[in-house]
Amino acid sequence: MLFSSIPFLFYFLPAVLITYFLVPKNCKNAVLLLFSLVFYAWGEPKYVFLMIATICLFFFCGFAIAKSTTQLFRKLWLTVSVVVSLALLAVFKYADFFIESVNAVTGANLTLLRLALPIGISFYTFQCLSYTIDVYRGTAPVQKNIINFGAYVSLFPQLIAGPIVRYVDVAKELDNRTHSLEDFSLGLRRFLVGLGKKILIANQLGALTEIFRQSGEKSVVFYWMYAIAFALHIYFDFSGYSDMAIGLGRIFGFKFIENFNYPYLSKSIAEFWRRWHMSLGSWFRDYVYIPLGGNRVSRWRWVFNILVVWMLTGLWHGAAWNFVLWGLLYAVFLLLEKWVPALQKMPAILRRIYVLLVVVLGFVLFNATSLAEAVSDIGGMFGFGGVPFVNGVTWYYLRSYSILFVAALIGATPLVKTVANKVSQKTVGAVLEPVVLLLLLVLCTAYLVDGSFNPFLYFRF
Amino acid sequence: MNKKIRIVGILALAVIWLGLTAFAWLRSPSELSTSERRPLDQFPELNAETLLDTSFMRKFEEYTLDQFPLRDTFRQIKALFHYNVMGQKDNNDIYVADGYAAKMDYPLNKDSVEHAIKQFNIANRLYLQKNNCKVYATVVPDKSYYLAEESGHLSMDHEAMCRMIAEGMPWATYVDITDALKAEDYYRTDTHWRQEKLLPVAEKLTQAMGVSAFAPESMQISSLDRPFYGVYHGQAALPLAPDTMEIMTNDVLKECIVSNAMGEVLYKGVHDMTKQNALDLYDVFLSGLEEPLVIENPNAKTDKKLVVFRDSFGSSLVPLLARDYAKITLVDIRKTSTQITGLGGVDFQNADVLFMYSALVLNGNYI
Repeated sequence: MLFSSIPFLFYFLPAVLITYFLVPKNCKNAVLLLFSLVFYAWGEPKYVFLMIATICLFFFCGFAIAKSTTQLFRKLWLTVSVVVSLALLAVFKYADFFIESVNAVTGANLTLLRLALPIGISFYTFQCLSYTIDVYRGTAPVQKNIINFGAYVSLFPQLIAGPIVRYVDVAKELDNRTHSLEDFSLGLRRFLVGLGKKILIANQLGALTEIFRQSGEKSVVFYWMYAIAFALHIYFDFSGYSDMAIGLGRIFGFKFIENFNYPYLSKSIAEFWRRWHMSLGSWFRDYVYIPLGGNRVSRWRWVFNILVVWMLTGLWHGAAWNFVLWGLLYAVFLLLEKWVPALQKMPAILRRIYVLLVVVLGFVLFNATSLAEAVSDIGGMFGFGGVPFVNGVTWYYLRSYSILFVAALIGATPLVKTVANKVSQKTVGAVLEPVVLLLLLVLCTAYLVDGSFNPFLYFRF
Repeated sequence: MNKKIRIVGILALAVIWLGLTAFAWLRSPSELSTSERRPLDQFPELNAETLLDTSFMRKFEEYTLDQFPLRDTFRQIKALFHYNVMGQKDNNDIYVADGYAAKMDYPLNKDSVEHAIKQFNIANRLYLQKNNCKVYATVVPDKSYYLAEESGHLSMDHEAMCRMIAEGMPWATYVDITDALKAEDYYRTDTHWRQEKLLPVAEKLTQAMGVSAFAPESMQISSLDRPFYGVYHGQAALPLAPDTMEIMTNDVLKECIVSNAMGEVLYKGVHDMTKQNALDLYDVFLSGLEEPLVIENPNAKTDKKLVVFRDSFGSSLVPLLARDYAKITLVDIRKTSTQITGLGGVDFQNADVLFMYSALVLNGNYI
């Protein structure tokens, strides 16, 4: 089920909120678990059993790690949990990619598994992994109640597109959390802002990228419009979803970590990844990069660590070579930033342009359906392939989408938030805020009623 | 204090949200959308099978979209915001220029046109060659042909489509009617052209076919009482004023007999006035797309026959070609209509044959 859908906004969410706030405190996690499983089953009725099995297994592994008296058994149960989670990803997400690659390299004709990708598997397996690893390290308490643990793993606000919430961050809230009208109102505000980002900006920019793909009359300017539109689209889509997840969490008494911090303002690629999908970056840092030795190793080992982490980051986003290359592209620029200090000494504006250029070109690679398409798209941006500089079709869409582009570019900076915060401190702002939010709800509903199916981009990860 | 105001305000918002939710849950479902001229989805069947194959979920979403309270109002809000605030030049490919709603049908879909030509060639081989038919062809321009350039919208290359049709049907005489029309000759809220404006088109076609059209002074025009909300009115979801529908007849047309393929007489005259209450008022013209239809003209100047391969544009135009034809047969070979191999019952012997499809149909994979 999509957050940006009528069934969610006007059927599921009201039902879960009413039930959640009516039941006594000790039943709230059970309500969340039950509704989360319904939420998941809505899109994947068969895979809900996989999720229940995953919950049971990781609950048991965590329990076993905590109760084991010897280091050997602690390691054994940790290994079981790591192997099972990686096996789940390998089978459901990567098997066909590996088989296709082997077939391509060796000329073999191995049969593809063609399994449907369980929604959110990359998110919930990483959450489960962080739980058993943290219990093993002693940095997180073991959860003794399977309902609470199930609610953590399946919690619908962040189940399918993050942020990747670590158990240690919500452990206390799972067992004992408070609810307040202020949290409810702040959560609702955050949810509606995210909904607006998704429906009013991301979906419209997504429509432009689709128009570009289907157009037979491309131009250099159209290629750039597409590239910039996709970069903004993916930002508003994903950060909008994170806002909705964080907002819903707040309504239910959880304080999820932030996932985005205006990444397009970054002055280096390293900074970009401290601002973009922060929960994933920190997950790879804490559970892959640092265990590999981080930067406290020899120069070449460090290079190896960087390449491994970014290759895995690329692969996490999708089982295809363009995602691997996309990850490695960032590894190369991160290494360059370490080795070429001049990059960091450029004027701030040039550093920002450099980051935006790398990110926009990177997203063209990311969104390509094949490497050939990526080469063609990037070539088109620089006039290769005999495309004209601009044509009538480009002008039409440039004029039609100019306001949206301006709104999206402004929305990608803290300007709106700063102004909103200043205004809301005044009485008129406090009165206007719910009016603006109501307007957002009405507009989003209007777009949904008028529109059709609009899946979130991050579903495929 | 401000915090309290904000909390109260947002709680009020939550109450409005819940109110809309209750409205959505409790209202009895509507059967039909008159603005879109289609039945609305009803609550889907719920059982283990529909749950497991997720068809229930898919249909439930469609049901909630179709049955959402104040659906048309919400669609109008979206359209107004999309145009006026977001500055979009079109809404779901529909735009309004000079008060005329039009579809941005772009680009030219060569595959679709080529497929149509292939079908026309099959018809020629199966029926026309061996029956000594004189064949003519024309393409009805889309309204956007007359609007798009000036309003800055995209439109298909109409001339290229006409060239494709002319070159792909060398056995037919191509008649160009583009200069006999202008934007005002179409309804403001609909795809179709206005019958009362079609005499110049009829003149061009009849001249090419070696017969005569009705004299303008012989025609009587009357308006229908019911306002005409065309198909773009619903699709655009903008507050457009309805059109007035005018129908044209004369003493010859009043005596014409319209019958169906089985020879059953349907009505006298070329307007089916029983369709004045139909979902689509345009159905008044020869009952919409009921076909094959035969118009017999007892007062024809000749005993010539005409067979018209047509879409809905033909319904309003074809009666205006009837002056010299004793019998006109209307057939449609679109995918949803008669199969091309099923025209054995049509009398093609020595007939004039006119292929007349609109650019929208030729470009939209409908044939």
